[in-house]
Amino acid sequence: MIRSLSVVAEGPGRYISWGVVQISVANLTIIVAMIVLFVLALVVPFPSGHGEEADQERHQK
Amino acid sequence: MTTSTDAKSAAETTDPKNWTNRLRGRIEGLVPPGQALPDRQPVYVASWIYVFGVLTLSSLAVVILSGSVLAIGGVQWWHVSSLGHFVNSVHLWSVELFFGFMVIHLWGKFWMAAWRGKRAMTWITGVLLFGISIGTSFTGFLSQTNFSAQWIAGEGKDGINSTGAGAFFNVLNPGQMLTWHVVLLPLVVVLIVLIHIIQVRRHGVVPPLDAHLEG
Repeated sequence: MIRSLSVVAEGPGRYISWGVVQISVANLTIIVAMIVLFVLALVVPFPSGHGEEADQERHQK
Repeated sequence: MTTSTDAKSAAETTDPKNWTNRLRGRIEGLVPPGQALPDRQPVYVASWIYVFGVLTLSSLAVVILSGSVLAIGGVQWWHVSSLGHFVNSVHLWSVELFFGFMVIHLWGKFWMAAWRGKRAMTWITGVLLFGISIGTSFTGFLSQTNFSAQWIAGEGKDGINSTGAGAFFNVLNPGQMLTWHVVLLPLVVVLIVLIHIIQVRRHGVVPPLDAHLEG
């Protein structure tokens, strides 16, 4: 019973304040993770094998 | 051998005044031949940034499937059942992923100016989807049947009512919010998703700004 109540009565989240900006640590973590994912999507090479270049390579072989 | 009946039938099928013919023509002309489900893409599509649109769609499929299971169990099922709790969590986290992937998709398309090449409607339907999806998730949070839903409704009512929408969109009415969440808004979202996908298939995937296209 106490365990289930503790789920209902969760403690307040942690917040970071910077001037007029106030954001929860959870939200900030998600935003940072999304930006990291976005940058990774731009710089990590995509495994080739289905593009036109791969088709041309197959034709040359 | 062609009979007069066959000739008459052929003439009827090409009759431009026939609304069935006109509708068929419109459906057939929605996307260029072979582009409805293409198995090849231009080489510039071989980048992870082009994956986030389909990741968003995949998340939406999980959202709809898990939401359908929740609808079968009932709006309060997840409070009293471990399976219901699991399905509710799948629904929540697929929504979180849906929005995360959609925003990264939005960033990618914004920075490559994806409205280029007569793709304005693709961009506009995407913006509409972003806005309507936020409204749909809002009604979902209002349908939780817990203190969180009550708090969100109490905080949101004045803002909604100040717009005049409260007359037909009362956030303090959980039954109304539930029907908006499971019937009306999903219909709108799926309809606009279909239009968005048709626009993508019709005009093709937008090339990067520095792509050198032949022809």
